[in-house]
Amino acid sequence: MRLRSLLLVLLLTTASSHAAAAAEAPLRTDHLYSRLVAQQATAVPGEILRLGLWLQHDPEWHTYWRNPGDSGLPTRVNLELPPGFSAGAIAWPIPERLPAGPLVNFGYGGTMVLPIEVPVPADFAGDELVIEATADWLICRVECLPGEGSYTLRLPVATEADAAENDPRWGEVFAAALRRQPQAAASAATVSFTAETVELQLPAGLNPAPDAAWTYFPVTPQVTSNAIEPRWLETGDGTALVLPKSDYFTAAPQRFEFLLARGDTGLLFSAVPRADAAPGAAQGTTAPGPGGTPGVLAAIGLALLGGLILNLMPCVFPVLFLKAAGAMEAAGDRALLRRHGLLYTAGVVSSFLVVAGALLALRASGEALGWGFQLQAPAFVAGLALLFFVLAMNFAGLFEFRGRLAGLGQGLAAGHGDRAAFFTGVLACLVASPCTAPFMGVALGVALALPAGAALAIFAALGLGLALPILALGWVPGLARALPRPGPWMDTFRRLLAFPLLLTVTWLLWVYGEQTSVLAMSWLLAALVGIAFGLWLLRAGGAWRIPAWGVLLASLVLPLLQSPAPSTGPAPAAAAAHEAWTPDRLASARAAGEPVLVNMTAAWCITCLANERVALSSPRVAAALEERGVRYLKGDWTRRDSDITAYLESFGRSGVPLYVLYPGPGREPVVLPQLLTVDIVLQALDDI
Amino acid sequence: MYKTLGVALALTLAASPAASPALAADAKIGEPAPAFTLTDTAGVTHNLSDFAGKTVVLEWTNHDCPFVKKHYNGENMQRQQAEATADGVVWLVVNSSAEGKQGHVSPAQADQIQAEWKAQQTAYLFDTDGTVGTAYGAKTTPHMYIIDPAGVLRYNGAIDSIPSANVADIEKAEQYVEIALAELAEGKPVSRPLTQPYGCSVKY
Repeated sequence: MRLRSLLLVLLLTTASSHAAAAAEAPLRTDHLYSRLVAQQATAVPGEILRLGLWLQHDPEWHTYWRNPGDSGLPTRVNLELPPGFSAGAIAWPIPERLPAGPLVNFGYGGTMVLPIEVPVPADFAGDELVIEATADWLICRVECLPGEGSYTLRLPVATEADAAENDPRWGEVFAAALRRQPQAAASAATVSFTAETVELQLPAGLNPAPDAAWTYFPVTPQVTSNAIEPRWLETGDGTALVLPKSDYFTAAPQRFEFLLARGDTGLLFSAVPRADAAPGAAQGTTAPGPGGTPGVLAAIGLALLGGLILNLMPCVFPVLFLKAAGAMEAAGDRALLRRHGLLYTAGVVSSFLVVAGALLALRASGEALGWGFQLQAPAFVAGLALLFFVLAMNFAGLFEFRGRLAGLGQGLAAGHGDRAAFFTGVLACLVASPCTAPFMGVALGVALALPAGAALAIFAALGLGLALPILALGWVPGLARALPRPGPWMDTFRRLLAFPLLLTVTWLLWVYGEQTSVLAMSWLLAALVGIAFGLWLLRAGGAWRIPAWGVLLASLVLPLLQSPAPSTGPAPAAAAAHEAWTPDRLASARAAGEPVLVNMTAAWCITCLANERVALSSPRVAAALEERGVRYLKGDWTRRDSDITAYLESFGRSGVPLYVLYPGPGREPVVLPQLLTVDIVLQALDDI
Repeated sequence: MYKTLGVALALTLAASPAASPALAADAKIGEPAPAFTLTDTAGVTHNLSDFAGKTVVLEWTNHDCPFVKKHYNGENMQRQQAEATADGVVWLVVNSSAEGKQGHVSPAQADQIQAEWKAQQTAYLFDTDGTVGTAYGAKTTPHMYIIDPAGVLRYNGAIDSIPSANVADIEKAEQYVEIALAELAEGKPVSRPLTQPYGCSVKY
C-alpha cells in the first residue's frame, strides 16, 4: 500500500516535471506564445480529457474566432491521437468584435485557451498518453501574419480510482474559457429574408431576455453584415433583430447560426426559416430557387398577363370609364387615338416605375414592405379619396372649370389633352395599386427578390399589361370602330360615371377609417363636403373666388392636420370564425398536427374582400372548415406588419391576397388561387 | 374633363407622402461598376470609362499582406495577369492603403515591388484616400472584381476558393477569377459571381 502510493507520487512527480519542462518553453512565433495544454494533470481512461491550444498574444494583437468576420482566418487545431481516440471540435469561447476601419472582425487577444474535449477510451492501456498537435492561425494588429506550430503533450495515465486532478497551471485560463462558453438557446430562432435585410425572430420567453445591450456575432458567414450591428425590434411575438445582408449573400442558407453575448453570458441560436418552411414544408421557399419560382423572363410574361387582367379588377373601373370616354370623343381620329394611347401607356409605365422605385428604395433601407405599401399610408388613401371626389363632382356637373382654375389646370391639360392622356395613365397606376390580380402575385414576389434592374423590368411589364387595351384601341382598327359614336348621350353617360367614382370614394373612406379612427374619417368626410362647397362657390366666380379658394385649401389641409394616429386595436371580427394570424399560432397549430387555412388580407384589397364575400364567408365553407377541424387564421395587412410581409415573401409574394391551406402533418402547404369560389375552397378542403 | 383631372391629380400628388431617398448604392453584380479616376505609378490618370469595350479586372493589393504574398510568391497572380492581359483584358492593381498605414508605398516602390514579382498588370493605381475602395466595398487584400466590356460588374470576391495564407493551397483551389474570365469570354453568365473575399483587411 505504502509502496504503491510512493510509486504513484514518484510517477506523478516525474511526469509533471516532464510536462512542466515542456510547458516552460511555449512556442514563440510572431507576436504569439502558444502551447498545447490539458486541463487535467492526468488522463483517466473512460473520462473526458480537456485539451486546449493556449495562446498568449502580444498586446494589441489578435487571432480569430470560428467566423473571422470581414478578413482574417479562424485558428485551426489538428490533433494526432493514438488509435481509438477521437477529438471534439474547438469549443469556441465568446469572441470580441474587432473593428478595423470600416471592417469588423471577430477574435481574441490577451491570454486565452481554445478548449477541445477528448474522451479517453475506457480500454486505453499505457502509462503515458502522448498527443501530437499542429495548429495554424492568422495573427493581426493592423498588419497580419500567418503562424503555425507543432506541439507534443505527454500526460501520465491515472487509474480509474484516482480522480483526475486539474493542473493548477491552466486552471484559470480553462475556467475563463469555460465561463465564456455560449449556451445553446432552448428553442430555435426563425430567420426570414427581404431583398436587403435578414430578420431574426428570437424565440419567446428567453431567460435571460436579450436586448440591445447584447452583442451579435454571426456564426454562419456570408449571410449578415459583419460591420453593422443589428436593429432591435419589438414585434408581436417578442424581439427581432434586423440586419443588412452580407455583401456576399448569395442564397438563403439551410441553417443559420448566430451568437448573442453580454459579458460572459452567450446564447447560441440556430435559426430555421420561418414557420411556412417548418418541418414538412418546402425548404428554401424564401429565396427564388432555380426550379421553385419562375425566371425573370417568365416573371415578365406573368406580369404582362397580370397587368392585363388588372383591367378587370374593380379598383381600375373608374379610370377605364374615364379613358373610354376620352377614346370615344377621339374615335374618328386614329392618329389622335394612337398618340393618346402611347401617352397613356407612358403614364402607366412610368408611374409604376416610380412607385416600384420608391418601394425598392424603402426596402433597401430596411423597411418590411410589399406591393400596395402606398395604401398602407393613410395620407395616400386620403389623397386618393379627395381626388376621386373632385372628379365625381365634375362628372356630376356640379361645376366646370373656368377662368383662373382652368389656368391652373393649363399646365397639365394643355395641348389637346396630350398631357391629360399621360396623367390618366398615372391615375390608372394609382388606383390599380391596391389590386393584386392573379399572376401578379408571383411576378411581384420574384421582382422583389431580384436586383433593381430586373425588378423594374417586371414592374414595367405590369404597367404595359394594364395599358394594353387602351393602347390597342389606336392600333387595332376593329376595336376603335366598335366604340359607340359620340353624341349627346355622352353627357348623360358622364353624369352616370360620377356614381362609380363616389362608390370608390366610399371605399377609400372606409379604408381610411380602418387605418385611423372614426374621428379621422369624419374629418376627411368634412373635408370632402368643404371641397364640394368650395367648388360650388368658385362657380359663382367674381369676388367669390377668393373665399372659394380659401375653403378649398382649408379642406385640403384639414385631413392632413389630423395626424392620423393608426388605430391599434385589431380589425373588428367578421362573421366567419377565425383567429388572428401570428407566426406562433400557425406554428403551434401545425405542431399539433391540425390542418390550417391562412388568409392574408387587407382592408384596401378589393380582391381580398370580394373573395371573402363570395367564398370564404359562405356557410358551406364555414361548415366544411368546422367539419374537418381546420383552424382558420386571418392576417390583416391593412397596416404595416413585418411578420406578414415576411410570410408573404416566404411564398414568393409581395402582396395580398394569399390563401394557404396546410393539409396536416407531413404534407406540403397548398397555395389557393387569388380568385376564390366556394367550389375552389371546398375542393381544396376535400383534399385534406 | 382632362383639365379637371390635371388639377385633381396635382392636388393628390401634393397630398401624398414624400418618398424616402434611396440609400447610396454599393457595387452590385449586374449593375454598372462605380466610375473612378485614379493615377498610376507613372502619374498617368486612368478613368474606368477609358476601358469601355474591354473586360477589366481590379485587384486590391498590399505587398506586406501575407495573402498577397501567397499569390505572388506562388506565382499565381502573375500567371493570371499575363494570361488575362494576353487575351486583351485590362488588369488594374489598386492600392488603397492610406498614408502611414501598412502597404502604403511611393510610385517608385510600387514599380520596384511589382517588378521584383514580375507582375504583369496593365497599371498599378493609387487610391490613397480610399474612395474607390469604399465605392467598391473592397474589404481584403487581395479582393478581386471583374467588369465586363459594357461596364457592368460581373464578379466580386475572393481570388480563389481556399482561404489560407499557404502557397501549397493554390494548386488545390478553384481559381474564381480565371473561371469567371473564361465564362465571360464565352459569353456565358458568371457561374459564381459573388464570393466572400479573404485576406488582410484593406488599410484605409
